[in-house]
Amino acid sequence: MNPQLAGLDDLEGTYVFDLRVSHRAMKLNRFLWNMIGAPARETYKANPDKAMSDAGLTDEEQDLVRKEDWIGLIRHGASFFVLEKFARVAGRTNLEVYAMMRGETFDDFMKTRRVPECR
Amino acid sequence: MAKIIGGIGTSHVPTIGVAYDKGKQNDPAWAPLFEGYKPVADWLAEKKPDVLVFFYNDHATTFFFDLYPTFALGIGERFEIADEGAGKRPLPAVRGNVDLSIHIAESLVNDEFDMTTFQDRAIDHGCASPLPLLWPHAPDWPGAIVPIAINVLQFPIPTAKRCYKLGQALRRAIESYPEDLKVVVVGTGGLSHQVHGERSGFNNEDWDKEFLDLFVKNPDELTKLRHADYIRRGGAESVEQIMWLAMRGALEGEIRELHRNYYLATTTAMTVTLYEPA
Ligand SMILES: [Fe+2]
Repeated sequence: MNPQLAGLDDLEGTYVFDLRVSHRAMKLNRFLWNMIGAPARETYKANPDKAMSDAGLTDEEQDLVRKEDWIGLIRHGASFFVLEKFARVAGRTNLEVYAMMRGETFDDFMKTRRVPECR
Repeated sequence: MAKIIGGIGTSHVPTIGVAYDKGKQNDPAWAPLFEGYKPVADWLAEKKPDVLVFFYNDHATTFFFDLYPTFALGIGERFEIADEGAGKRPLPAVRGNVDLSIHIAESLVNDEFDMTTFQDRAIDHGCASPLPLLWPHAPDWPGAIVPIAINVLQFPIPTAKRCYKLGQALRRAIESYPEDLKVVVVGTGGLSHQVHGERSGFNNEDWDKEFLDLFVKNPDELTKLRHADYIRRGGAESVEQIMWLAMRGALEGEIRELHRNYYLATTTAMTVTLYEPA
């Protein structure tokens, strides 16, 4: 256990991205990371299933990506910072992804914000 | 001799860049943010620093987790601004200062900070989001940057204290550079926010204010906090505020806060501050 992180077990809705998680979900995270390249985005859009299996994603991972199951991907070990690159490809803003991770509609989520027009 | 003339603390929320590129400077929802940067931009225009040293974090853009540096220093005549999935931003590549960057690398490594160095790589919003609010970019940027990336994404990440010490070492590096350059050190990130999991959208304004006050008066207390403390108090991704402490280390001693703007609109407490040595 990393002593800098000790004592977070009871903090709900938080998934620390450490080397254990990173190692376990390396292929998924690399696939998501690759979306910063225009050719990878085109390859994915042309044939998502092939792009995912070429990237070595498991069936479960492919399913999570296909469904754009943001919270499922986070729980599975995706880093948000590569997930947001895929969100651009999926045509989702970060605010929309936050709402979905919280299990709220976008409008309901924005009502909880100070300046809902700031988007 | 080169000299540090001030410090800037700033958020690096990617949507600041998006709003900037879309020209939302006068949009009522965004104006409090953009207005808040003007006094800092004016100060920079008046003081004319040659260099901004940026303590920032890469967001798995320049580097991927297969080889993720703890501390990485950029060297180059120019730094392209990265495509992070939505295409290229309409900004000129940022200028660098090769000689200064190399001197800082030599000084830090000899001072027991074993830096990774990178060349010919684009940098992301950790640096690029606040930069155009600080410096004009037409026809070109008025000075150079030295980017120093700190891993705050993949744990283990450096401790708050280690970041502070990196800032102290940066000061020694700058003050041993023979050319008379004026340098401003920028610490980026924060303040309270969480962008993953069901706790996304978490903020803590009381803690943000306490952080900003302690930052000036008693940074030692902030260097003693563990990552878990930052995560609990300010949201998981607010742990990146340890990068502000690197800037504070470079301004060790008493400082004056000349400006503070705090704007919590949606999910991140967007903040900009300006400091001078007292
Ligand atoms: Fe960040």
